[in-house]
This record gives sequence, structure tokens and C-alpha cells, in this order.
Amino acid sequence: MSALDILLVILRIAFGAFVPLSFVAILVWMERRGAAFFQDRAGPNRCNVLGFRAGGLIQNAADGIKLAFKEDVIPGHIKHKFYFVLAPMLVFITALLCFAVIPFADVLILGDKHYIMQAVPMDIGILWFLAVVGFGVYGIILAGWSSHNKYGVLGGLRAAAQVISYEIPMGLALVSLLAVYGTVNLSEMAQFQGRLLFGFIPMWGFVLQPLGVIIFIVAAFAETNRTPFDLAEGESEIVAGYHVEYSSMKFALFFMGEYVAMFVSSALIVTLYFGSYQIPWFNTETLVTYARPVVIAIMLGLPVIGYFFGEWMKRNNRSHYYRENDPRQKETTVYIALLWSLVAILEIVLLIYLVFAHGGVADRILVALLQIGTFLFKTFLMCFVYVWVRWTLPRFRYDQLQKIGWEKLLPLALLNIFITSAIIVSFG
Amino acid sequence: MSIKVRTVERKGRTFLEQLYLVEVIKGMTVTLGHFFRNLLDNSRLYVRHYPEVEPEITARWRGRHRLTRHEDGSVKCVACFMCQTNCPSNCIMIEAGERHDGRSEKMPTRFDIDLLECIYCGYCVEACPMDAIRMDTGIYSVTSYSRDSMVLGLEELLETPGAFDEEEYKKGGG
Amino acid sequence: MITTYLFFGFALLAVLGALGLIIFKHPMNGAMSFVMTLISMAGLYALLSAKLIFAIQLIVYAGAIMSLILFIIMFLNIQEKDLPLDPNRWFYLAGGIIVVAPIAGLLIKISKSLPATEVTVFEDGFGGVKEVGQLLFSQWLLPFEIVSILLLVALVGAVVLAGKREVN
Repeated sequence: MSALDILLVILRIAFGAFVPLSFVAILVWMERRGAAFFQDRAGPNRCNVLGFRAGGLIQNAADGIKLAFKEDVIPGHIKHKFYFVLAPMLVFITALLCFAVIPFADVLILGDKHYIMQAVPMDIGILWFLAVVGFGVYGIILAGWSSHNKYGVLGGLRAAAQVISYEIPMGLALVSLLAVYGTVNLSEMAQFQGRLLFGFIPMWGFVLQPLGVIIFIVAAFAETNRTPFDLAEGESEIVAGYHVEYSSMKFALFFMGEYVAMFVSSALIVTLYFGSYQIPWFNTETLVTYARPVVIAIMLGLPVIGYFFGEWMKRNNRSHYYRENDPRQKETTVYIALLWSLVAILEIVLLIYLVFAHGGVADRILVALLQIGTFLFKTFLMCFVYVWVRWTLPRFRYDQLQKIGWEKLLPLALLNIFITSAIIVSFG
Repeated sequence: MSIKVRTVERKGRTFLEQLYLVEVIKGMTVTLGHFFRNLLDNSRLYVRHYPEVEPEITARWRGRHRLTRHEDGSVKCVACFMCQTNCPSNCIMIEAGERHDGRSEKMPTRFDIDLLECIYCGYCVEACPMDAIRMDTGIYSVTSYSRDSMVLGLEELLETPGAFDEEEYKKGGG
Repeated sequence: MITTYLFFGFALLAVLGALGLIIFKHPMNGAMSFVMTLISMAGLYALLSAKLIFAIQLIVYAGAIMSLILFIIMFLNIQEKDLPLDPNRWFYLAGGIIVVAPIAGLLIKISKSLPATEVTVFEDGFGGVKEVGQLLFSQWLLPFEIVSILLLVALVGAVVLAGKREVN
């Protein structure tokens, strides 16, 4: 193993571990501000460090510090303390492990070596995801059961029954998808989606599997226990469900586990159905060939985006009441200075690339970075859909939930398999 | 027909509504509209930036209590115990003493209101025959660092001025 | 080298889990130690490069079946007082060990008498999804179908048993 190999291994594992974690902060922020904007409120906007509130992100830091320094209570009535402590860890770790097999860029070719851009290069791909998700249920069951609390048990029962029953339509929706792609390897699936259908439509999963994508997304929402399927923590009936007895960091692990799971399932939906890291009409080879025009387009686009973003900040990041020497406007000027210096740095880097380093390895790295950016952007949008749905749809009743799972999604998924395989056999 | 009969149209039976997805998407476009309206210009949020921007209090608002005085500065309260008797949460504590200014025979020597107990129902104001207790101070935020300071005595109640002039208060139905 | 250590680690965990299943009194402890056994078995499959079997072991046994069992244990809400007293447990256990010991000795003898060969398997893609699938649906099609019919019969039986009975 050369130094480059080791560096890339470290980079990939770091990406797989830290990106979900940093997305937790972004998602919590997005959930709060998103919820507020959906409901015509302002959301967290008071917490600040030296007057800098970063659009409300400082609130997350405050919450994190609060949770870390809270007393870690294990209630006296709990007999199985081992399972009580194990449960939140299981929920969190399984959610994090799922991300290990998701590719975030096309295979990176440096010289004559190929690097698969996954945290752990494993070719069972989607099967790994299914296997690990199954273990997430243990965390919920153990938490509910070891809490020794009727709300906890009820929440655990609901969550477990829901996850187990929605795994079936999810798996069946995947079966037809696997028949289309002809592989279980997520990297190969992503490469498949770089092609074009009839020469002009990007061959993304949702074009090939319009029914499957709906089934899969619904099942994925249920799997992550998010609204409209969050009966497990139905506040109005069972207080907080399976994490009713948890406090401080153990609660935080559940909380973060939920958001990591949301991120991972968004990433998976993007990988399976929305073209993964592929930029529509620009697959890896095209991008490498036309690297210079693409870079020039980016260099032209950056200041425009920066300008509009700055204008938006000026308009919105100010106090909407009379205030002498509005500190929020001062804050905005600092942000805008930071924004323009970032734009300038990027421009300089791209210029250096254009003048000195284009061609060969640099092109490949550039394309990989672009694809990572695309992947993260798509995943971010999918996470936004999660937040969007949460603040739009009311919660299902429990019998409705099971009815949708077994009586609607399951037959539809089976139908989808039949149709898909018929088409593949007759045309493919 | 004398009684108006209105047939309620049952919704949710058509195929599209049974499909649920269409309705989901309709609902989601509504919320997305709100989201982008607020994201692009957050000056139009339906909220008050509370600690800095204070709400307008009308004369009918039941705020913190106060005791009123006659024009010559003597206490209106005659310690009749009406308010204390009427209080559903037993938060008023009156001790009566002798009165020497000739207006009547009694006046309070002690008049405590425990604001932690008070439910701001306004029965004391309605019960008072002398218009001696009012809730027109316009104080809506009653907070403190200790329990003791939440019990208001006679002095404090008399000190607080009303937030509205007499005419406005009367118009409010007081 | 590292695979040898991994093998012994997984084997030890599997045996410990199996022991726990027998020895622990509370069904939740038993079920969890069985989960440990199943996971270590999956690890052993992975060491043998049987990727598909590894995944299926995790999905089906450790993921689905055991979580159903845990689910049911949770449903029953077994308290300490509901458990059987079983004062002779250790006695039976010792008796069982004495009975089984000769068989175990025999097995050890057999495995020792096997010739010690270094077997490095297999062509490219051994144990992958495609390879196992092709094998399963060509060479082993009949057994595969018969097993699936067996499962179907069990399913129908469960439905019949669980179905509503007419009130006489």
C-alpha cells in the first residue's frame, strides 16, 4: 500500500463517519427553521456567540452542550441496566453503519489505480443496508422493553411492528429495482444511472420505476419512524414512546440516531432512484472530457450565486423592529465579507487549476469533488422532503398504518415486480 | 321550509382522494408556498419579536392587580372581604383594622395577593363594591427569582399606577 | 493471520452465545445471547467469502426472525415471578454435559484425523450474489422449489390456524 492508498482509505472512512454526524447538526437546524417557516414562525434566532447567530445554528451548539452536561439518570426501577444503556448505542451505531456502503462519487481513477468511493468498499451493497437496518429495531425494542414503563413498551411495540412490517414492501420494491439494474452493488447502480434513456432522458431510478419509488419512499419514511409514521413517539397518547425514560446523552444518542437514519435513508433514496452522484446529462467521462468549460462555467456562476445569496442575507438578516445600530446588520456585513472571501478563494483555486494543473489527475479529482457536491446536494434536498412532509401531514392512526403497509403497499410492490420482470424479459 | 336544511357534502370518497397521494401533494404545495414566502422575505412572519416588541394591552386585559385610592389619596378599600370570599384560588389575604379618616369604619392593615396562586380570573374586581381593586396595570409578565417576592403586599398594590385613564377603563366595561 | 484470530474470536463468541442461551434464566437474556451467536455465525460466513450467505444470515435470522422473537418476549412482558423456579437446573446441565461429552470427544477426534491441508478456494466471484443465484436456480432448482412449497404450506397452515373460527 502506498501513501496515497492509505490517505484515500482514511479520507473515505472519515467521509463516511463525519458527514452523517455533521449533517445531524444541519438537519436539526433545518428541522427547526423549516418547521418555523412552514408555520409562519421565526424559529430559533436568539442564541448567539458574540452576536453571531449563524442563522440559528448556534442553538444546536447550545442544545448539545446542555445535553452533554445534564445529569445522566438511570431510573431506579430499571432492572436490566445493560440493555437500557445498550439500546441508544445500537440505534445510533446501526444508523451510522448503513452509510458505509453508499458511494458518494464515481470510481476515482488515479494513474492506473481505481478507488471505489465508499467508506467501506463492499460489493453486497444494498443487502448490507437491509441487514444493518434490521439491527436498528433491536435498539428500539430493547429501549422500550428495558424502560419498564408502559409508554415505553407501547412505543417500542409500535415502532418494532412498524419497522418489521414496512421492511417487506421496501424489500419487494428493491427486488424490482435490482431486476432493472441487474446488480446489488450500489456503485454499479450509480454508474448505471449515468446513462441516457432514448438518448435524452437520464436513466435515473425513478424514471424506470415510477411505482417502485413511491413505495420505497413511503416505506423509508416508515422505517425511520418519521411523520406521518411516527406513532412510536405519539406525544398525545404515549408521551414520548420508547425514549420516555432516557435523559442527557442517552437521549441525545436516540435523537442523533433518528437524524442520522434520516440522512442515510435520504442518501439511499438518492442513490437508488435519483441518480446518486450523477449530474444529469453529464456522466463521469463527459465531465472529465469537458473539464475546462465546466470549470469556466462554475467560475462565472459563483459570483452570481454569491451576489444573490448576499442580497438575500441583507434583506432577511436584520431586526424587524426599531433598534439603534442594529447589531444584526453588522453581523450581516461580516457574513457577506466571509461569503465574498470564500468566493474569491474558490475562484483563485479554480484559476490555478485552469492555468497550471488541468488534464489527467487533476481533472479526475475535480470531477470527484463535483460529484461529492452533487450527491450531498441531492441528499440535502431529500432530507428537506423529510422535514417538509413532517410539517405537512398529520400522523396516521395505528390500524391505518398497518393497513397501508399490508393491504396497499405489499400488493402494489408485488404488482410492480410482475410488471418490471415482464418488461425486462420481453424487451431486455 | 322554515328550517334550513343543508346537506353536508361528504369528501374523501372519490378515487383520486382515495388514492391519497394527490391530496398529499396538494397539501404539500400549500406548505411549500408558505415556506418559500417566509424564506425569501422573513419580515412577513406572523409573529411578534416579543421581548423587544411588546404586545398592545387593551383596557379589558386582566393584568396584575392594584388597589385604588380616592382623589384625596385615602385607600378606597374598606376591608369588606368580598374579594377574599370570592377568590376561587384563595390567593387574597386581608386583615382589617380601624379607620380614622371618617370615610367608613374599616380599612385593610394587610392586603396580600399571592401571585403564584392567582389565576387572573377577575372575580375580585367584579366582587368589589368600592371599585377598590382593579386589574388594569397592564402588567402581563409577572416573573421573579423567589417565591416570597411573588406575594404582593398592601404598599406595592397601592403604589402601582393604572395603565389607562378612567374613561378608557370604564368603556372597557370595568 | 488476522483471519485466524477473527475465526477464533467469532467461534468463541458463537459458543458463548449458545451457552448463554441455555444458561440464562430470563428469556430476553437468552434471546440476546442467541443474537450474538447468529452474528458470529455471519462473521464466520464472511470469513469463508460467502457474501450472500453472510448478508442473508444477518437479514433473515439476526434481523427478522430474532427481532420477531424479541418482539414476542416484549409482548408477553415476563416478570421475574413468572419464570419457573427450576431448582435442579444445574444438575440437569451437568447431566447433559456428561451425556454429550463422548459425542463431542468423537467429533474432536474426527476433525483431528482429517488431513491438515491448506485450502485456498476458488475462482473470482465465489459466493457472490450472481454466482449463488445462478447455482440455486439451475443446479438446485428442484430442492429450492420444494423448500419454498414447504414454506408456503407452513404459511397456509398458520393462516388457517389463526383464522376466525365459527362459533358453534
